[in-house]
Amino acid sequence: MTLVDLVFRSMRKNIRHYYLYFFALIFGVTLFFIFSTLQFDGAVSGETDLSAKMTSGFKAATVLLFAILLIFVTYANDLFLTRRSREIGLYQLVGLTKRTVSRMLIIENVLLGAGAFIIGIGAGLLVSRLFLLLLLKLIGYEGTVSLSFSGAAFSQTAMLFAVLIVVTSFRMFIKVRRTKLIDLFNEDKKDEHPKQPKPVTSAILGIVGLAMMIFGYWFANSKYMLNAFLLLNMLMVLALVIVGTYLVFRVTIGWILTLYRRSRNGQIGLKGALSVAPLMHRMRANAKSLTVITTLSAMTLAMTGFAFSMYYSTGQEVRVGTPHDFMFTEREEANEPLPEELAGQFAKSLDDAGIPYNEQAITYVHTIGMFNGKHFPEILELEGRTVDVLVFDWDQLNASGLETEVPAKGEAVFHDSGLSWLLTDKTFPFDASLQSGDLKENFRVSEMGDRQVTSGYEGVTTEFVVKHDSYMKLKDAAPPESLHTVVGFNLKDKDDLKEASKLYQEINPGNTRLDYYLSYQDAISYSGIMIFITGFLGLAFLASTGSILYFKQMSEAEQEKRSYTTLRQLGFKTSEIMKGIRRKQAFVFGIPLLMGLAHSIFAIKSVSIFFTSGDIRTPVAIAMIVYSLIYLIFAVFTVGYYRKTVNDAL
Amino acid sequence: MQQDGLILEAHGVRKSFGSKQNAQEVLKGIDLRVKEGEFVGIMGPSGAGKTTLLNVLATIDRPTSGAIRIGGQETSKMKDAQLSTFRRDKLGFIFQDYNLLDTLTVKENILLPASLGGLSKKAAEAQFQDIAGILGITDHASKYPHEISGGQKQRTSAARALINEPSMVFADEPTGALDSKSAASLLGTLEDINHKRGVTIMMVTHDPVASSYCSRVVFLKDGALYSELYRGDKSPQAFFQDILNVQAVLGGDRVDAR
Repeated sequence: MTLVDLVFRSMRKNIRHYYLYFFALIFGVTLFFIFSTLQFDGAVSGETDLSAKMTSGFKAATVLLFAILLIFVTYANDLFLTRRSREIGLYQLVGLTKRTVSRMLIIENVLLGAGAFIIGIGAGLLVSRLFLLLLLKLIGYEGTVSLSFSGAAFSQTAMLFAVLIVVTSFRMFIKVRRTKLIDLFNEDKKDEHPKQPKPVTSAILGIVGLAMMIFGYWFANSKYMLNAFLLLNMLMVLALVIVGTYLVFRVTIGWILTLYRRSRNGQIGLKGALSVAPLMHRMRANAKSLTVITTLSAMTLAMTGFAFSMYYSTGQEVRVGTPHDFMFTEREEANEPLPEELAGQFAKSLDDAGIPYNEQAITYVHTIGMFNGKHFPEILELEGRTVDVLVFDWDQLNASGLETEVPAKGEAVFHDSGLSWLLTDKTFPFDASLQSGDLKENFRVSEMGDRQVTSGYEGVTTEFVVKHDSYMKLKDAAPPESLHTVVGFNLKDKDDLKEASKLYQEINPGNTRLDYYLSYQDAISYSGIMIFITGFLGLAFLASTGSILYFKQMSEAEQEKRSYTTLRQLGFKTSEIMKGIRRKQAFVFGIPLLMGLAHSIFAIKSVSIFFTSGDIRTPVAIAMIVYSLIYLIFAVFTVGYYRKTVNDAL
Repeated sequence: MQQDGLILEAHGVRKSFGSKQNAQEVLKGIDLRVKEGEFVGIMGPSGAGKTTLLNVLATIDRPTSGAIRIGGQETSKMKDAQLSTFRRDKLGFIFQDYNLLDTLTVKENILLPASLGGLSKKAAEAQFQDIAGILGITDHASKYPHEISGGQKQRTSAARALINEPSMVFADEPTGALDSKSAASLLGTLEDINHKRGVTIMMVTHDPVASSYCSRVVFLKDGALYSELYRGDKSPQAFFQDILNVQAVLGGDRVDAR
C-alpha cells in the first residue's frame, strides 16, 4: 500500500468529519472567485458605469473574505488535527516516521484544498451569472451584461488558496514534529480538570465584565459620546464591549452557574449534569473562541443591518436632500436664464409629453438668526452665535405639492438635515430671533421636520417654515438681495419620473443638474452594491462562525461519549439524555447569538442618527431574523450529531 | 416476592457476536439462579465470557437466545425504553474504571440516578448521607473525581449504584484498577453492605482474593459453566484456597493471583 492509498483510505474514513468543512471551504472559494470576477471584469464595471465604486467595494470584500477564510481554515484544521491525534500516534507506532506522517497529512490537506478549489471555481463559473443578475437588479440597472471567464480572478483565487494551503500545511508539519508519541495518545483526555472557581475573585470579575458591557452600551448612546473626541470614544466603546464580552464568557457565566449549582446542593439532576456542568467546565477554555464568534456575529449583524437599512430607506434618504422631483434655482456661475424662465420651458415640455404636475415658485428670505435653548448639544456651540436661516412660507410649499408639518402662529418648524441627527426631542422647543433688514422677529421653534424643503442653497441648510403672515412681515422688511426664488415641480404620478428626468436634463443641456430621479438611481446603485457585498460577506461570516461552533461541539460530543455510555448503562434513555443536551446547545449557540444581537442593536442604534429619514427598525429586524434563522440551522445540525453519538454510545 | 427468594434466573442463555455466516458463540447456554441476598462471584480465564455474561444478565446487552428473569420480570422480552427504566429503578452498576462523570462532583455523581426517580429532595439527601456514611466518602462530597484517589472513586461509584436501593448490583472487576489495600477495603465494605442491607451483588473478577469475599463463586470456561463453590461457614482463607484449587484445574489466570 502506497502513501497515497493510505491518504485516500483515511480521507474516506474521515469524510463524516470533513463534509461541513469541505462545504464551507467551497462556499468561501466560490464567493471569493465571484467577487474577484466582478472586481476584474471590465465589461461589468464599464457598462454599468460604476467602475470606481464597485471595484473598491469588491476589493475590500475580497480582503475581508480572505481574512475570514484564513481564520476559519486554520481553526478548523487545528481542531481536526487534535481529533485525529490518536490516528497520527498509531501511524507512528506502527513505524511511520514523523516525516512520512506529516507528508501524508499534507497530501491529504492539498487534495482536500484542491478539491474545494476546483469545485468552488466550477460553482463560481456556474452561478456568477446569477450573482450578476442579482447585483444588477439590486442596483436598478436595466439591460444585459455578459460575463466572461476572468483569468485575473482565477489567479487571485489560486493565490488565496496557495496561501491557505501553505499556512495549514506548515501548522500540520509543526504539530506532528513537536508532539511526543505519548502526548498524541493522551490528547483526547488532556482536558482541563474542572476547578472550583474562587468565589470572591469570580464575583468581582463577573460583575466587572457585565458592567463594562453595559457601560459601553450606555456611553455609546449618551450625550458624552458626541464631542471632539468622537473617534477616541468609539474606540473606547469597542474595547469596553469586547473585553466585557470576554469576561462574561470567561467568568460571569461560570460564576452565575456556580451559584445556581451550589444552591442545588448536589441535586442537579440529569439535565443539569448534561448542561450546567459541562458548560461550566468548558467555558474558560472556550471563552476566547466564543468572544470571537460573538464579535464576528455582532459585526456581521451590524454590517448587514446597516446596509439593508440603507438600501431599504434609499428613497426616503434621497428625499431629505432632494425634496422636490425637479427644481430650478438661481445659479450665478453659469450665467444662465432666471429659474422662472427655465421652469416655463420645462413646464411646456411636460405638457407636450402629457405628464401631469404641480408647479410653484417658492421665494424664501435669507435672515440672520440667534438661537436660545437649554438643550443644544455641546459640539454645536450654538450659544451666542449667529446662524444663517432661510425662511419659507408654508402656503407656497403646500402649493408645490410638498407635505410638511404645519406651523402654528408665532411658531416655526425647523428643517435641517445637517443638524437633525445631532438634535433630540429634548432640544425642542427653543427660541429663535430672526433679523431681516431692520426687522427682528421672535419665533418659538416647536418641532423638527424630517427633511429639507429645498435642497440647501449657498451652503445654508437651516430652514424655517412659518405661517404666511409672519413670512410676509420678514419678506417686506428684507433687502432685495436677501430674497431668492426657486421653482419646484412635483409630478402627480411618480411613474413618469424617468421620462420627465430626461426632459429635465434637456433644458439647458450644457449645464447638468441633479433631480430626484437621478439622485435616487445613483444612491440605489451605491446601496445596492453595499447590500450585495455585505449580504454575501455576512453569509460567509455566518457559515464560518456556525461551522466553527459545529466543529467544537462535534469534538465535545466525542469527548463526552464515555459519559453518555455510562448514563445509558445506568438506565437513562436517549430521549432523556437529549433533553439535557438540547439545553446545553441552547446555551452554546444562544448566548453568542443573543450577545451578538445586543451588541449590533446598540451599534446600529448609535449610528442610526445618520438615517435622517427616521425608522429603520423594520429592515434591521428583517436582517436579524434572517441571520438568526440561518444560524439556528447549525444548532439543529449539532443536536443531530449529538443524537447520533448518544445512540451509538451503548 | 418470588418463590424460594430467587432474584435472578437465567435459562439457556446464548450470545453470539459477528455476522450470521461468521458467528462466534461466546456464551453457550448458561443456566444460573441467584437467591436474594447472595454475593456471587464470577471467575474464569480471559475470554471465558465473564463480562459478556454480566452485561447480558445486567440488561446492558441482549442475549441471542435464552430467558432471563430478574425479580420475576422477563427482561429478555422488554423493549429498550422499558429496559432503561428497569435498569435505573432496579439495578446498580460498578465498573472497573469507575465511569464517573468528570464534570460532576462526588455528590452530584452519586445523586444522578435519583434525579429521574420519584425521590423527593429531602429523601434523596437523607439517602445520600446514609450511603456516603457507610462508604466513608462524606468528606469528599464536593470534590471532583480527579481530586480523589482510585479507591474513593470506586466508593463513589458504589454509592451511585446503591442510591436507588436496587434489587441487585452488578460489578465488573471493581477492584481491577485498585491497589491491594484499597481493594481489600472496598471489598470489605461491599461484603458489609451485602450482609447488613441484604443487597444482592454479582461481581465479575479474575482475582481469587476478591472472590474470596463472595458467598458463592461460579467458574466459567469457554462460555459454559464449569463449576461452582459455596463458601458456607469457611473462613476467607480456606475459601481462598478452594478457589485457587479450582483455578489450578481450570488453568489460565492463576498467574494473576496477588
